[in-house]
Amino acid sequence: MKGWRTVGASIAAITGFLVGFTALLSLLLGDNPALFGDDPQAEALAQNLALPGAALLRLLVIMLALSIVIGIANLLLLHARRMAGGRLMSGILLASFAAAIGWRILLPGEVSLLEAIQLPIESALAALLCLTLVAGGARILTKRSDIWGLLLVLVVVVVLLGSLPFPELAPIAAFSDWLMRIPAQAGARAILLGIALGSVVVGARALLGQDRSLRG
Amino acid sequence: MTENTLTLISFALTMMVFSYLLGDLPLIRHLYRIAVYIFIGMSAAFTLIVGYENLLLPYWQDAQNPAISWTALGSQADIVVFGTALLFTALLLLKPVTRLGWLTNSILAVVVALGAAVGIVGALRGTLLPLLSATASLPVLDAELGALLESLLVLLGTMTALYSFHYQASSSGEGTSFGLGKAFRSIGKACVVVALGAIYAAAILSSMTILTERIAFLFQFGA
Repeated sequence: MKGWRTVGASIAAITGFLVGFTALLSLLLGDNPALFGDDPQAEALAQNLALPGAALLRLLVIMLALSIVIGIANLLLLHARRMAGGRLMSGILLASFAAAIGWRILLPGEVSLLEAIQLPIESALAALLCLTLVAGGARILTKRSDIWGLLLVLVVVVVLLGSLPFPELAPIAAFSDWLMRIPAQAGARAILLGIALGSVVVGARALLGQDRSLRG
Repeated sequence: MTENTLTLISFALTMMVFSYLLGDLPLIRHLYRIAVYIFIGMSAAFTLIVGYENLLLPYWQDAQNPAISWTALGSQADIVVFGTALLFTALLLLKPVTRLGWLTNSILAVVVALGAAVGIVGALRGTLLPLLSATASLPVLDAELGALLESLLVLLGTMTALYSFHYQASSSGEGTSFGLGKAFRSIGKACVVVALGAIYAAAILSSMTILTERIAFLFQFGA
């Protein structure tokens, strides 16, 4: 049994490596005639190199779209079971789902339901976020009262004050502008570079079959 | 439905979400939950509609159209790609069948590997190379001194912030630190904290704008 599992994991790892490496090479090197130097057929060769990447990318997008459909079906089934168990909230969810689909089928192109229900709830939730963020900032001062917590709150206050349109606050606005231009930009670049390096490492691990989920 | 009815529904839903601020009061607490469940149901429906109308349906129509080809190999190849995606997704549903684990894991491996390849290309082309070239490109020496100084400060800040990540990763468990390294680490950490603070402030500003819009809507409805 364990032997079969190992064989299965190896098949998955090899398949993933072959497909992923093909896509990687095609996406990185495709559509770049300069790679083939003075070859008269450089343009055609570059286009051919880009073909597997384009096809595999299309395959991935369609699979992801279908996965979303399956995910929504799973959500509906789960709440249908809960509704059968007497949970009223699940019934509300299913009713709102059915109402939106029905609205779309009966009145195609009509967006008033989206504007009357979806947008107000989204906006109100985003508005609540403001209060939550301010409360979180205050909590930083009480829970983490070291220099870094203080600096974070100080920067938040300076940037917020700097965005006010009062001429009396012009020096703070200038300082806020400097903060955004130099240290914040440097920090943001470092964070983005860190994320990008992390993505490359995680991606390489997945390509090489080191991802735990593929081992069965 | 008339415009007044729709506005009334918007008002009621906004109040239901704002009832969260009243805390855990009997009956009132259900209003927030009802609004959230309506939101989830609607979001699922709209996601399904957008996924079907903007992705699946156009792809299927393109695949059937001989004049358009994604792969430059003709619409027959496109139909094969579409069919393969359908087959793979259907096979993924067999994940609970342990005997077919090798098959479903292989399909999952294809998805993960393709995602990884796209991620690597995106990180390299979209972030790493442009950011590295933007950080390393200093103005020419005869340019304004202020601009040169600013570029140098950004370069220094980025390098020290990256150093502080590296320092934290390698120094876990060992408490030794050297003076210069510690100073570099502090400068880098300060840059990261300032960046996070700026992002935090921007998030507060955005949500405050939405809050004022919602409050204005409530007052407008009341008037």
